[in-house]
Amino acid sequence: MKEKNKAQSRRKFIQNGMRASLLLSLGVVSASALRRVTTDDYVWQIDPFKCAQCGRCATECVMSPSAVKCVHAYDLCGYCDLCGGYLKPDANARSTAAENQLCPTAAIERRFIEEPYFEYHIVEDLCIGCAKCVAGCTSFGNGSLHLQIMHHICVNCNECSIARVCPSDAISRVPASQAYRVKGSWTIRHRLKDK
Amino acid sequence: MTKRTINIILSSVGVLGFVALLWWMNTDPTREFTVNLEGADNRGEGNAFVQEVNIGEHFEEYASDYKELSETWTNFRGADYDNISKSPVKLLDKFPAEGPKILWSVELGEGHSGAAIYKGLAYVMDYDEEERADKLRCFSLIDGKEQWSRGYDVTVKRNHGMSRTIPAITEDYIVTIGPKCHVMCLDRETGDFRWGLDIVKEYGTEIPFWYTGQCPIIDNGVAILAAGGSEMMLAVDCATGEKLWETPNPHGWQMSHSSIVPFTFGGRKMYVYSAIGGMLGVAADGPDAGSVLWETNTWNHSVVAPSPVCLPDGKIFMTAGYGAGSMVLQLSESGGKFSIAPIDEYSPKDGLACEQQTPIYWNGFLFGILPKDGGALRNQLVCVNPADTKKVVWSSGKETRFGLGPFFMADNKLFILNDDGTLTIARPSTKEYIQLDQVKVIEDAHDAWAPFALADGYLLMRDSKTMVCIDLNI
Repeated sequence: MKEKNKAQSRRKFIQNGMRASLLLSLGVVSASALRRVTTDDYVWQIDPFKCAQCGRCATECVMSPSAVKCVHAYDLCGYCDLCGGYLKPDANARSTAAENQLCPTAAIERRFIEEPYFEYHIVEDLCIGCAKCVAGCTSFGNGSLHLQIMHHICVNCNECSIARVCPSDAISRVPASQAYRVKGSWTIRHRLKDK
Repeated sequence: MTKRTINIILSSVGVLGFVALLWWMNTDPTREFTVNLEGADNRGEGNAFVQEVNIGEHFEEYASDYKELSETWTNFRGADYDNISKSPVKLLDKFPAEGPKILWSVELGEGHSGAAIYKGLAYVMDYDEEERADKLRCFSLIDGKEQWSRGYDVTVKRNHGMSRTIPAITEDYIVTIGPKCHVMCLDRETGDFRWGLDIVKEYGTEIPFWYTGQCPIIDNGVAILAAGGSEMMLAVDCATGEKLWETPNPHGWQMSHSSIVPFTFGGRKMYVYSAIGGMLGVAADGPDAGSVLWETNTWNHSVVAPSPVCLPDGKIFMTAGYGAGSMVLQLSESGGKFSIAPIDEYSPKDGLACEQQTPIYWNGFLFGILPKDGGALRNQLVCVNPADTKKVVWSSGKETRFGLGPFFMADNKLFILNDDGTLTIARPSTKEYIQLDQVKVIEDAHDAWAPFALADGYLLMRDSKTMVCIDLNI
């Protein structure tokens, strides 16, 4: 009887130990998760208002093709037929033929909506971040095409190779919770902050 | 190694080489490429829909009391087409501490149409989005009281503004062009309808991007218009609406945003026009009126907004935006025959260039504001000598940049309007930039691009939605 109590006590001890270990593990995992959620890590991002469209994002990023892609703020776009971001200057025709497109990889799709509007859509897989379209849109349009570092591609180098060579210091670390500086809603916040 | 083994190896290498060669010859390395052809955007051909328009059908009279004044600003860039007011009225060179004296303001449809002024009345083309109608609106210059409007139903969608032309006015007539190339001629004072012309319907013209920018001119009671369709240019008698002549368009050049400029050179008066496709000079008078005196396709860009700047020695300065840059051409005359040849051409970062406004020629120098792609001097006001328009005499400096807004001269002052409604007064000089004052005139302004109009010391200016009248009298 005494031996049986001793055995039960050992089993109970092991059970309690297991329970405590599981509880502790759960606590550690929960704490880690909580820490991950509450700690604001930093990621690299481009300020589209500082970007000088120099083209180095395409050539200096450690990823190939670059983790920098063009994004389109549809709410700013003029939906023009003659789009400075889509067509080469003095293009032969306002058409989708390759010789008229400014983008070297044909990463911009152009769709006729209704007279006189055309919609432009970026094919991210084709975009190399060369900023040719951004320069055209900024010089001749509303500046709705702009560059952003895509975080599902970016490896978040400790020393971002394009940030090091950016001539306009447009690339900086931003909180991971606000990882993108997309024109439009961010523009409004940005301007309000400036005021 | 036996001879048989060597033969086997050589044969194997030969076969492999042959297979590799065959593979190389039959493999297309571009087989996975997508061919980008025209038509992938599903755009239609030409003008998709030409609406039947009854030009001049609507008239509304609101008032008839206004103070008659003496001066005029009869058309785009003024009576002499040089954007320099010859009025003797003395103007402010510095605004009072409380800001400019704004006499009145009026809300307009989104656009860039400037005003014309005639003896106390201001006329402006406007598009009424609610009524879907083009309207010529007539206001009292002193107090902004609307006198009358005449217009017609036409559907125009927003596309970076709608109305963007300035009427041409004489004592008797007003000629307007609407966003979709509808020409309307009215009695100047009463607004009575005289005649209308649908250029698209009549000549198959393709409406320019962002709608018509060409401002009409009236020369000796004759309206001169660039059709850029089946005919290039035409003259219409304002009194009767009769077409006096038409200039053929064998090259199929199209209508641009540029306006026709009268020019006298080599003993001939001519109308100079920069179309999409090329540039030409058309005889303005004589038995050959309407015939082409000279033409060139060396100046050919897809968007041309500024008008030709014709200089006394026969040089013609042309500039355009969207990366086009500028060209200087030399017009020559010999035995009644004219010829033209480019003498310089450059990109906007290499010299004087303008995107929308036409440079001013004053005291032998040219003045203009460089576009956004103008390199280090982008958006700065610059002064150049026509002998070398790539050599900048002075610029306004990197701290003083402007936009696409208008600039003109009056009372030996240069007035410059920024996109955001900020008005700058500078002292014209061929030596340096001298700023006199700068003030915000229209709060929260956007795209203040319409040309100025000035008469009797009253300046009319606008942004995309609001027109204001400022008293500049001392």
